[in-house]
Amino acid sequence: MSLKKISIIGAGQAAAYAANEIRKHDKELGITIFNEENYLPYERPPLSKDSITNKKKYEELSFFSKEFYNSENIQFINKSVKKVDFTNKTLITNDEKLEPYDNLLITTGSKNKKLNFGVDQQDISDSILYLRNIEDSKIIKESINTHKTFAIIGGGFIGLEVASSIAQLGKKAYVIEMGQQLMGRVIPTQIAKLVSSYHEDKGNVILLETNIVSIELKNSVYKIELNNKSTLEVDFIIAGIGSKANTDLFENTSLNINNGIVTDEFCRTSEENVFAAGDVANFFHPFYNMQMRLESYQHAQNHGIAAAKNILGQNLPYIHIPWMWSDQFDLNLQLIGVCNNFDQEIQRGNNLEEGIIYFFIKQKKIMGACGIGKAGKVGRDIRLAGKILETKVDVDIDDIKNKEVKLTTLLKR
Amino acid sequence: MSEINEGWLEVSEETGIELEDIIRFDHDNKTYCVYKLEDGYYATDGLCTHETVHLEDGLVMDDEIECPMHQGIFKIKTGEAISPPACIDLKTYPVKVDNGKIFIKI
Ligand SMILES: Cc1cc2nc3c(=O)[nH]c(=O)nc-3n(C[C@H](O)[C@H](O)[C@H](O)COP(=O)(O)OP(=O)(O)OC[C@H]3O[C@@H](n4cnc5c(N)ncnc54)[C@H](O)[C@@H]3O)c2cc1C
Ligand code: FES
Repeated sequence: MSLKKISIIGAGQAAAYAANEIRKHDKELGITIFNEENYLPYERPPLSKDSITNKKKYEELSFFSKEFYNSENIQFINKSVKKVDFTNKTLITNDEKLEPYDNLLITTGSKNKKLNFGVDQQDISDSILYLRNIEDSKIIKESINTHKTFAIIGGGFIGLEVASSIAQLGKKAYVIEMGQQLMGRVIPTQIAKLVSSYHEDKGNVILLETNIVSIELKNSVYKIELNNKSTLEVDFIIAGIGSKANTDLFENTSLNINNGIVTDEFCRTSEENVFAAGDVANFFHPFYNMQMRLESYQHAQNHGIAAAKNILGQNLPYIHIPWMWSDQFDLNLQLIGVCNNFDQEIQRGNNLEEGIIYFFIKQKKIMGACGIGKAGKVGRDIRLAGKILETKVDVDIDDIKNKEVKLTTLLKR
Repeated sequence: MSEINEGWLEVSEETGIELEDIIRFDHDNKTYCVYKLEDGYYATDGLCTHETVHLEDGLVMDDEIECPMHQGIFKIKTGEAISPPACIDLKTYPVKVDNGKIFIKI
């Protein structure tokens, strides 16, 4: 049976690139995207960085213009989907309308984990700020512009990026992290330490192995008691304690969910004619021979494109090597591949000016690399690390250590 | 400078420059990149149009330059931005080689 129509739930990055890709190959197919936000699909990285520090306007974040979607006949329905009936191939929107589908692509992204301080302190729980979309970013930006001190709960990427924006605007952030290092265990400790000192040099305070004992809100000031017996006084609390796949909609359905919607390497879910891509998908990665769920810009885009191709029947496995970045102050951190499965950790470079990269090597093969440096300084070698690991060639440790040896030569061997 | 080179600025000697090398050239408070490709030399603005990062630190793959910061990609010969987050094209400039020296016209 030939395809007639594709419905997409969630109008984020994966959705936009899937729709664009479908149109490149098929001008006739109906494409409908269910959009619960008030914006056309937009990029989220600036929400914690350049949009807060006034370097990029919120209006500049769309991937494609309204004219583009109109001319390509990509239709938006500005409603959220409340339920999916996989048996009858029907979506039910928040206003109880039934929307039948032929093929379905799920790109509902991820949602923030939330703190809960118990029923007695519901007002405090409700007043904590989170960052996921443009509205959240605008609220955080306004709070920074009008106040001075902030507690950031959680020392992950988004929390640290907001802390960096706060310091860049001349304000102060206290980052409260219960783990032993920033950015979790995927980032090498040495890099986490560098990031920590960089924040401290710029006026932020990083509190590791720290838990909140109690929070009081009086006269618009939060008093936060910490397990190290100290007390912080701040104007706002922003939490970045991680996120999970946005799969609430599929609870109690037949769709296979396990840390996201489980898909194969062709973006196919457990339901026929139903695909998933981007943050929401826990996909099979043939190169690493394992399931993985990623929250990254480039993955959302490429995975959306891959889903589109597979919906069109091209049968192309998704084999992109995972890659992501985080920008804080004038530093750019990048991570490629997987950095937790290695027998050797090799350092290349020794200062932030020129960049420092840790290569994770197993049985002489690069598994992943993580680096940090002044803007632009680690990108080329990180990219080459990805290209080299794809070829599965054995590498010489001395070549990796020696910045004089261009990594391109390892590719050409 | 010989007359035929009027309006052209000398970037560097040609010796030692390998295929897919990038040469950064600063002039008048602006920065440019000259690339050696299979069929000759090409030049673009030196800063990525997404955020102001030097493309000299990027990676040349065939006829494309990939930005080292967020992997935005541009076509070197036309300056066209072909992969986000880069979406604004780069300016390009004529390049020539004369007597073993590379020149750019800005
Ligand atoms: C603040 C922030 C900063 C980031 N910075 C970086 C960075 O520096 N580098 C990097 O690599 N990555 C970064 N990311 C991650 C990157 O933006 C995401 O991985 C990417 O946006 C995921 O794309 P997606 O299409 O899967 O989901 P999203 O772009 O999140 O889109 C999902 C959409 O689905 C909608 N939706 C959900 N449920 C429904 C429903 N039931 N009905 C209708 N619509 C629904 C949501 O409202 C949303 O609009 C950042 C993310 C955030 C939030
Ligand atoms: S700075 Fe070049 S892609 Fe972002």
